[in-house]
Amino acid sequence: MLNILIVDDSLAIRIKMKNYLKRLGHSIVGEAKDGREAVQMYKELTPDLITMDISMPIMNGVDSLSQIMKISQLNANVIMITANGQDGIVKDALKLGAKGFILKPVSEEKLQDSIGRIFSEYSSADCDQLDENDLDDVF
Amino acid sequence: MNEESKIIHTYTKDILIPIIKRAKTFLEDEMNIDVFNISDITCPKNIHLKKNTVMIGTSGSIKLIITLGFDDMLLDKLVDVFIGDDDIEDANLEEVKNSVACEITNTIIGNAIDNPIDKSNIYITPPVLIYKAKTIEKNKDSKFVFVTFITKYGEIELTAVGPKEQFENELDFK
Repeated sequence: MLNILIVDDSLAIRIKMKNYLKRLGHSIVGEAKDGREAVQMYKELTPDLITMDISMPIMNGVDSLSQIMKISQLNANVIMITANGQDGIVKDALKLGAKGFILKPVSEEKLQDSIGRIFSEYSSADCDQLDENDLDDVF
Repeated sequence: MNEESKIIHTYTKDILIPIIKRAKTFLEDEMNIDVFNISDITCPKNIHLKKNTVMIGTSGSIKLIITLGFDDMLLDKLVDVFIGDDDIEDANLEEVKNSVACEITNTIIGNAIDNPIDKSNIYITPPVLIYKAKTIEKNKDSKFVFVTFITKYGEIELTAVGPKEQFENELDFK
């Protein structure tokens, strides 16, 4: 079971994510509504995994990812969640150290697959660590 | 018209057509709501925004404000489908309804947006909900594009607002 921090400004998405992740057997240790809250909660909770929306008010997900990666010395496990699948935006997040990304709409299957790429014990099938080259297959 | 704006206006419909197509496929494939008809695209002098209207801006080489306005009954249906069997506390119902409208708008526009000019990133702002119905008049430097999606639960109105030079004079959205 992973301890997961959900970061999204949308209440509807936080509810969906929480229920998907609980059904996958994980524990939700916190919910943040923007990138700044996420940085603070990461320091307090040191979760195993963060799901991070990109487009948020106050501080967006990419800036929050950057700060969390500095704090964690690149050890944090962050999956970026975005509706905007432009190559450049996703590549920027992966370069900063995100371990994966999910293109909205989010589903339980997409979450399971993405978590399995980072934590092999939760993999539903053989899948390797995501890197920038995988983008060619996605888009 | 300078060279830069010639390039921009040629590509504006390349931004909007994918959004119109994604709105239709999102409703039909993700929400199981058939779109009976998509209206002709018009360029009105003013627009009347519904009370459940979500606004998103784009930045980068394409600058637009895009809104999706939802009829009440259609938004209620979208909330039902989106939430499914998940339990919602009564106190959160209104906020959930608003966030579903924002999330659907964000997903449709985010999934569809791409930069046909130079492939540089186009960023979209977080969605903002306009609570009250509102009429906006066009000024001389702006242009509105308007299209309606019709379902059995009601309509979604899509509006794009931007600098006039970004739009073609004759919009041929075929």
